[in-house]
Amino acid sequence: MLSRSTACRGAQRAARQQAVRPAQRGLASPASGSFQYQSGEAQGVKYASRDFAGPTTTLALVAKAGTRFQPLPGLTEGLANFAFRGTERRSTLRIVRESELLGASLTAHHSRENLVLEAKFLRDDLPYFVELLGEVASSTKYLPHVYAEEVLPMIHFAHKRFLASVTDMATQSAHALAFHRGLGVPTASSAPTPYTKYLDAETIEWYSKMAYAKPNFAVVANGADHGEFSKWVGEFFENVPSAPIEQTGVGADQSKYYGGEERIAHDGGNAMVIAFPGSSSSTGKFYKPELAVLSSLLGGQPAVKWSAGFTKLGQAAAPGAKVKTTSAIYSDAGLLYTTITGSAKAVAETAKASVDALKKIAAGEISSEEVAKAKAAAKFKELEHGQDIRAGLELTGNGLIHNTQPYQIDEVAKAIDGVSEEAVKKAAKELLESNASVSSVGDLFVLPYAAELGLKV
Amino acid sequence: MSAPSLAPFIKKRPWLSRWMKPLSEYYCHAAGYRQLGLRADDLLPEENDVVQTALKRLRPQEAYDRVFRLRRAVQLSMSHQLLPKEEWVKPEEDVPYLQVMITDIEAEMAEREDLESMIIQKRQKNAAQSAQSGH
Repeated sequence: MLSRSTACRGAQRAARQQAVRPAQRGLASPASGSFQYQSGEAQGVKYASRDFAGPTTTLALVAKAGTRFQPLPGLTEGLANFAFRGTERRSTLRIVRESELLGASLTAHHSRENLVLEAKFLRDDLPYFVELLGEVASSTKYLPHVYAEEVLPMIHFAHKRFLASVTDMATQSAHALAFHRGLGVPTASSAPTPYTKYLDAETIEWYSKMAYAKPNFAVVANGADHGEFSKWVGEFFENVPSAPIEQTGVGADQSKYYGGEERIAHDGGNAMVIAFPGSSSSTGKFYKPELAVLSSLLGGQPAVKWSAGFTKLGQAAAPGAKVKTTSAIYSDAGLLYTTITGSAKAVAETAKASVDALKKIAAGEISSEEVAKAKAAAKFKELEHGQDIRAGLELTGNGLIHNTQPYQIDEVAKAIDGVSEEAVKKAAKELLESNASVSSVGDLFVLPYAAELGLKV
Repeated sequence: MSAPSLAPFIKKRPWLSRWMKPLSEYYCHAAGYRQLGLRADDLLPEENDVVQTALKRLRPQEAYDRVFRLRRAVQLSMSHQLLPKEEWVKPEEDVPYLQVMITDIEAEMAEREDLESMIIQKRQKNAAQSAQSGH
């Protein structure tokens, strides 16, 4: 005898698929959400969100607690590594297991200006993770043994990794030359002194009461309904301190550009960083979109495979050298830098070629076609960067904390569209007139001095 | 590491606690460890994972003091002597410095056990969905 379920299985399946299909969306279908973030404030906590269509949400707590703002060295790293450890209500293990069950991922990372606690999860779980971030900010237990067993080893690894990487060393050194303190503080401990001398669990707890005070952080969500999000933020961030425990004023001054030269001997490779004063974030006061265009005009890395690319440095690079130009933007200053790595000889040649390329741009020896290409590349990079959720969240949070306005990518793209050829040439000329920050790490016998390259330091 | 104890029962009842207190003081004195300069927590058996973990979490100064007390007590015991009376551990010094950590560690271990043996149930909404689509 046939059971009813067996007999009509086919029909059932057909009916079911009909019913289900309209509700599903292909991965390639366009998202209805825009780049624009909606911002608001609930009980003193600043937040922003955009309802990016899709089944997942990325939630971030962006705190103004990057290495720039740390009153003692190593505090930011300590605080980042203490994130998602045991709180008053849950243990580390429970936080991990619960988020695993919900299929989420939790990360904590820091940059020069921000400490970012990030959670990625399925859309339905928004309240759970807003609560978790609220809990991390307000009631993490900073226990000495957790510091000794779990936090300190991570800081030590970061230090070892830093020492092994010539690129990191050169980049940090260029920042230190350019900004001295504040933005110049290295993001990873450059020596063990910070964590052997200044750091312990109590100091980190003290710093957490500044970093996670209401005026100093913002909560940003990507892929969450704004109304719902604001409700949960209002509910779960009640217990965070409403004012920092102490006003240190570290890093609050306007960043000043100095410039200079540093040479570090290293046998783990060769790297040179040639840096110039750059543009601040579009939410800051010193925003210069032409520097983004100049950065992609200098470039170095091809966007198309099997070709050197149109960029000036991509064509000028000696074989065996890798070149990359970055326009690092911070809230009130920026650094435009070219990183060259590879064999010592190739690095030396490429460094010379890159300064020559900049001089040519300043002298106006570029075609308008190249500028047009650079503009398109800069715009694409900016918009792609905006779609890269992680970067967008940090920039938005940063904008909210410093200037109480979110970072709007559409506007940045428009600003880049409006850059003229003359502006790019003028920017290049200004860079050459200003003091450069030149850092060489590696075989110092071969690597050139800034004066040999024809730069002012 | 914690043995069953009547203490919480007694502590909850002030009248009973007032009644038992002299008795407990007498008992602690008669046990004789204070005369050797030890605290009650120094007597806990340490040959197990829980107490070993707790000992690792002691602050350096606390760990040093503990070893000092133990060595002094061994020395006294071997020479069949007691400390001079003014060096006896006073009742207010006899604080449970290790027991608090042991309680925490036991809770952590119990939690780990619980999470390991957890039975996961799908949320009703999701369960309904997957039943419908036949997975």
